[in-house]
Amino acid sequence: MLILKLKLTGSILVLFSTSLMGYIYGKSYKERLENLIYLENCIKLLETEIIYGANPLPEAFMNVYNKGNKKVSYIFRLIIEKLNKDRECTIFDSFLSVGDTMKNELNFKNEDIEMFMTLGRSIGSSDRTDQEKNFKLILTQIKTLEDEARIEKDKNEKMFKNLGFLAGLAIVVILI
Amino acid sequence: MENNEIAIFNYLLEYLDPEISDILYKIPDNKKANIEEIRIRNEKPLMISGEAKDYYVSSKGQLSKYEKEGFVVRGEQLNKTFQIISNYSIYAFEEEIRNGFITLRGGHRVGIAGKTVYNSKGVETIRNISSLNIRIAREKIGISDRIMKYIIKYPNSIYNTLIVSPPQCGKTTLLRDIIRNISDGIPELNIRGMKVGVVDERSEIAGVYNGVPQKKVGMRTDILDGCLKSDGIIMLIRSMSPEVIATDELGGYEDIKAINEALKAGIKLISTVHGEDLEDILTKNGLGEIIERKIFERIIIMDNSQGVGTICDIIDGCTFKSIFY
Repeated sequence: MLILKLKLTGSILVLFSTSLMGYIYGKSYKERLENLIYLENCIKLLETEIIYGANPLPEAFMNVYNKGNKKVSYIFRLIIEKLNKDRECTIFDSFLSVGDTMKNELNFKNEDIEMFMTLGRSIGSSDRTDQEKNFKLILTQIKTLEDEARIEKDKNEKMFKNLGFLAGLAIVVILI
Repeated sequence: MENNEIAIFNYLLEYLDPEISDILYKIPDNKKANIEEIRIRNEKPLMISGEAKDYYVSSKGQLSKYEKEGFVVRGEQLNKTFQIISNYSIYAFEEEIRNGFITLRGGHRVGIAGKTVYNSKGVETIRNISSLNIRIAREKIGISDRIMKYIIKYPNSIYNTLIVSPPQCGKTTLLRDIIRNISDGIPELNIRGMKVGVVDERSEIAGVYNGVPQKKVGMRTDILDGCLKSDGIIMLIRSMSPEVIATDELGGYEDIKAINEALKAGIKLISTVHGEDLEDILTKNGLGEIIERKIFERIIIMDNSQGVGTICDIIDGCTFKSIFY
């Protein structure tokens, strides 16, 4: 009787944890898509700040941080803080400094970060017409990435959830 | 006073590439106070100039007359400096770059030279920056005090005044202080303050930064910053009802036309012009003519024979005789 109880608790525990793993893994796809959309909004805000407001970058970035969704917009604050703190670094360097944060905290993939770095390479370095062109390019890129993320999410989110549960079930069956 | 000048210089270093600013920081304090310009040229030695002399700056911050001791500026340092000056936002300074200079907080001006790019409307931008010239704006409050008595006509009015001097002799500094005196009024001479309109085409007189004049230009002063003189004079007459209009560097026919408008409206003028002496400016197109028409009643001639800002002579514009004593 006791053994049966133990087995049952064990099985439930295994099932629960594998499902959770599957869920978390699946969720990262959902998060990436969400964050890409937030990031797109932030970049659009930045575009307005730069093209129509002609605000200098430190001011523009802080405005984006304040107006945008804080879940993502805090990276703009980080960039400007880095730039203010370290006089040696260029704007691109300070973009690079948030690369890891984007990967670890926001579930961005390498290609998303690469896209964002392209922005860092060109931002502020030319006149408004040129900046406008850059923004157009970046916004098309981010749209493509979003579509890609959406497809992946549809495909993988459910799969990983199911996989987690099924893997747990398999372990339970084998162990019992 | 001296400490203040040094503080201004050190403050400006914030705008430079860290390596260059470290070098300039090491310049002895007694030299710092007299520096007027910092010259940064691509792959050329770093230079400073002041009091009509220029020096190479060595990597230890010593001033030298020998080229080979100078610290050679690298392209990336020049670019970094330009980035800091433009706050990493070239797009925000498009108009300024088109005009060839950026005004910093404190009214200091950074001149830019490089490859200019044209579009159908004129200069579009300057790329591949090759030289930066940082002109330190020196504010000398009180330098006009002793000549105000020549400019004041009677308590509520002044003479139309023209300041003539070669470049870098302190024209603008004198003009600014005269503006301050007129605008604030001088109780000792029983002069009440007058409304002064300033057309500050090159942001040199008031050094407006983010809408706030960085120099003392008086309480009753309205400034049209970055505005062409010819447009600005007319705009001020319409909008601000000034009693006195002050501008820098009179030149073209358009300016002269605007001046005539101002005179019609009964407004007094103060201005400056590049020139050696009276004969020199009489030969200038347009300007010579209005001097012959005796529009400017006082002409102040300056040079740097006894240091920057020496006033050589003050001429009565009607009789062309010196009244300076």
